[in-house]
Amino acid sequence: MDVSQYLEIFLDETNEHLQNLNTQILSLEQEPDNMDTINEIFRAAHSLKGMAGTMGYKRMQNLTHDMENVFSEVRNGNITVKANMIDILFQCLDALDEYNTNIRESADEGTNDNEPLIKQLNDILNGGAGEEEAKEEAAPSKEEAAGAAQENTGGKWQEISLGDSEAAVLTEALHQGQKVYGMTVKVQESCILKAARAFLVFKAVEENGEIIYSTPSAQDIEDEKFDLEFSLIVVTSDPLADVLKAAKAVSEIEDVVGGVYDFDKDSASVKQKNETAKSEEVKEAPIKAEPVHVETVEKAPAKAEPAAPAEPAKQPPQPAAPANKNDRKPAQNKPIVNRTVRVDIEKLDTLMNLVSELIIAKNSLVSASASVEGSAGSEVNDQIEYLESVTTSLHESVMKVRMVPIESVVTKFPRMIRDLSKKLDKKMELYMSGEETELDRTVVDEIGDPLMHLLRNSADHGLESAELRKERGKPEVGSIFLDAYQDGNNVVIEVRDDGNGIDTEAVKNKAIERGVITPEQAEMMNEKEIVDLLFNAGFSTAKTVSDVSGRGVGLDVVKSKIEALSGEVEVKTKLGEGSTWIIRLPLTLAIIQALMVVIGEEKYAISLGSIQTLEDIPAEEVKLVQNKEVIHLRDIVIPLIRMSEILDIQSNKDPNENLTVVIVKKGDKLAGLVVDELIGQQEIVIKSMGKYINKCKIISGATILGDGEVALILDTNALI
Amino acid sequence: MDELKTVGETIQFIVIRLGDEQYGIDIKYIDNILRMQNITRVPKVAPYLKGVINLRGEVLPVMSIRIKMGLSEDVVTKSSRIIVIKMEQQGMMGIIVDEVKEVVTLETEQIEKISYDSKDEKDNYISGIGKYEGGLISLLDLNLVVPENA
Repeated sequence: MDVSQYLEIFLDETNEHLQNLNTQILSLEQEPDNMDTINEIFRAAHSLKGMAGTMGYKRMQNLTHDMENVFSEVRNGNITVKANMIDILFQCLDALDEYNTNIRESADEGTNDNEPLIKQLNDILNGGAGEEEAKEEAAPSKEEAAGAAQENTGGKWQEISLGDSEAAVLTEALHQGQKVYGMTVKVQESCILKAARAFLVFKAVEENGEIIYSTPSAQDIEDEKFDLEFSLIVVTSDPLADVLKAAKAVSEIEDVVGGVYDFDKDSASVKQKNETAKSEEVKEAPIKAEPVHVETVEKAPAKAEPAAPAEPAKQPPQPAAPANKNDRKPAQNKPIVNRTVRVDIEKLDTLMNLVSELIIAKNSLVSASASVEGSAGSEVNDQIEYLESVTTSLHESVMKVRMVPIESVVTKFPRMIRDLSKKLDKKMELYMSGEETELDRTVVDEIGDPLMHLLRNSADHGLESAELRKERGKPEVGSIFLDAYQDGNNVVIEVRDDGNGIDTEAVKNKAIERGVITPEQAEMMNEKEIVDLLFNAGFSTAKTVSDVSGRGVGLDVVKSKIEALSGEVEVKTKLGEGSTWIIRLPLTLAIIQALMVVIGEEKYAISLGSIQTLEDIPAEEVKLVQNKEVIHLRDIVIPLIRMSEILDIQSNKDPNENLTVVIVKKGDKLAGLVVDELIGQQEIVIKSMGKYINKCKIISGATILGDGEVALILDTNALI
Repeated sequence: MDELKTVGETIQFIVIRLGDEQYGIDIKYIDNILRMQNITRVPKVAPYLKGVINLRGEVLPVMSIRIKMGLSEDVVTKSSRIIVIKMEQQGMMGIIVDEVKEVVTLETEQIEKISYDSKDEKDNYISGIGKYEGGLISLLDLNLVVPENA
């Protein structure tokens, strides 16, 4: 079997493990004595090693092997965790990540041996207790002790009865001084590629000996025709412990139980045999029935030689499975794996487009049905309403499929901040909330870089040095917050720091110096306008250029990237107290609920998500403040925007009539849009207008109405 | 339209009328010819951009070639058409013409390249003059009419 088909799974899982290692090592840095963390790290490193090994990536395997050794020592208490060790481990992760990238690009791990890292790892080992031989054996030993108490957790191998031909083979083997073992392997319930795991077990066991018999048959196992368990009869000259260890080293294998198999007797006397076997093989006894939990993940089955011709097991498998001894394991937060299907994002795009078309067709039906009269009309209406609810749910489901938590992007940030903290020699801490907030996959993929820029910016420009912070009476350790939450039809991501804030004077001077504005212009500008200068291309106020930020690219890139996602970014800052960068992104990019309004002769759509209320305001209640029209509504003064003026339309309304005002919000700002008439709520599909017309800021797109006409969508965010 | 293909050294043009003059558009750019329909105006854009229409479920920008060329505002009549052109860089775009007359096949000898002396603004959009059955057809250079960055 070619391993290349598992390459993708390998890459994905490697990523997961690396991410996990990053997180765990970070927490190890905080609590160097946490055994759970250390165990988790050990397991992840071990899995990585196994995966790399099976896939034939030797360099990766070597590196992980050495990392695993170090953790093994840490676990045994022979080495204590030190700061420099954490640094080296992080470097190892970077190196592994590099291998991973190489493999993704070229299916080859590259030629970097990372010898310096391996040497450093070995130094740690030698500097430790110097008991290198403890290494890997340390892992099972603990489990052995615990496992000893569980000897009688039988396996189904004890029930296997062999045919004459196999029996003859076994007799022969025994004569040659080899031993015959039976073993039952239980695959984890969450395992997706059971057959693949089984093959790995076969392969591992066959390195030690020969598989004489398996139940279900090798062919059935290959076809995944087994539940969670399969049993093997093995002839080998190696001790049982080795064979079992080899089998349990395969990931996603929950249990391996085994013992000496006595083929002369029938299964009725197994119990007794088992006892005999134990006394005969004293040194192996403790391991015999040891259920081993191997919490690793690895994908890469290799070709397994079909085992001896299989004979159907004479006895049906018993449901009595070895007891799960989960209580012995350290608490793990590994979620139960749901059954999932990997789908190409393009297929989802196609699906989304089809749903859009369906909604347009539905809208056409709605407007066509208006002309149907009588009893037939109401029936048609009923059916259309039903259709409407189906298309709406369909749309929601498709949207949900496309949504992913931003977690996948933000989990790399704690590590980044930690590195920055070292590099910049500032103490800082990142606090994140709302990682579970979901966004369209395409948006999540793009949002990583802008967020990274903002965080780096906060770390470098925002936070003061420890001394300065002390002087100002702030805690020495600076705080950076990353908060994500949903707000109506938007998702808001805030990057906040308790640093220095933005020095508007410095920005102003810099802008004048750079020729971005003239001193006269600077006089006229308010604080907000000055802060917005930061988003100008080629603007950087860092007095010293570091490789963290201050290369003059950054904020303008952040802004353009976010605008490309139909989002926006704003800054709130207070000198000496810190700044907040607020990114606002649309939840969905394709289909929205909108309010249709009429202005003059034209129809426009306003996204329902940005609408606060609809008001009917008598003309005389409109007041003038600084020559601008405002209304006073429930103790809030709201500026009025006459849409007919903005859109250059002749309003058809009598100026003395009551005004129809749509109150829209953007963050905490409100504005009242004066329209002529309201039509109603409608689900609309946003269509791009092509690049010719994109110049128009107040129009965010167009949509096709039920009657085939095109209506424009007002971008209320641009209006406020 | 499949049979209307450029063969050998000949180029096919669709002849359109703008006012009193005849213009030719290379047929390879033409995706579709539509009857005049209601165009949704888009505010705050260049005057020659007349708005958008619904073309088979997609939103298509429509421009007035007359305004672009400095001629008078379009007068929509029964013979007015929207020609949908498709260009590699610029994508799809509709242009309003007064009339679509015929398809002509010109050999390269029949096409006379012209140099720009730009006395007339509309000459700026012309790549050559085609001689056909005694008449002259100004051949439009769509890359000039529909620039990449409008």
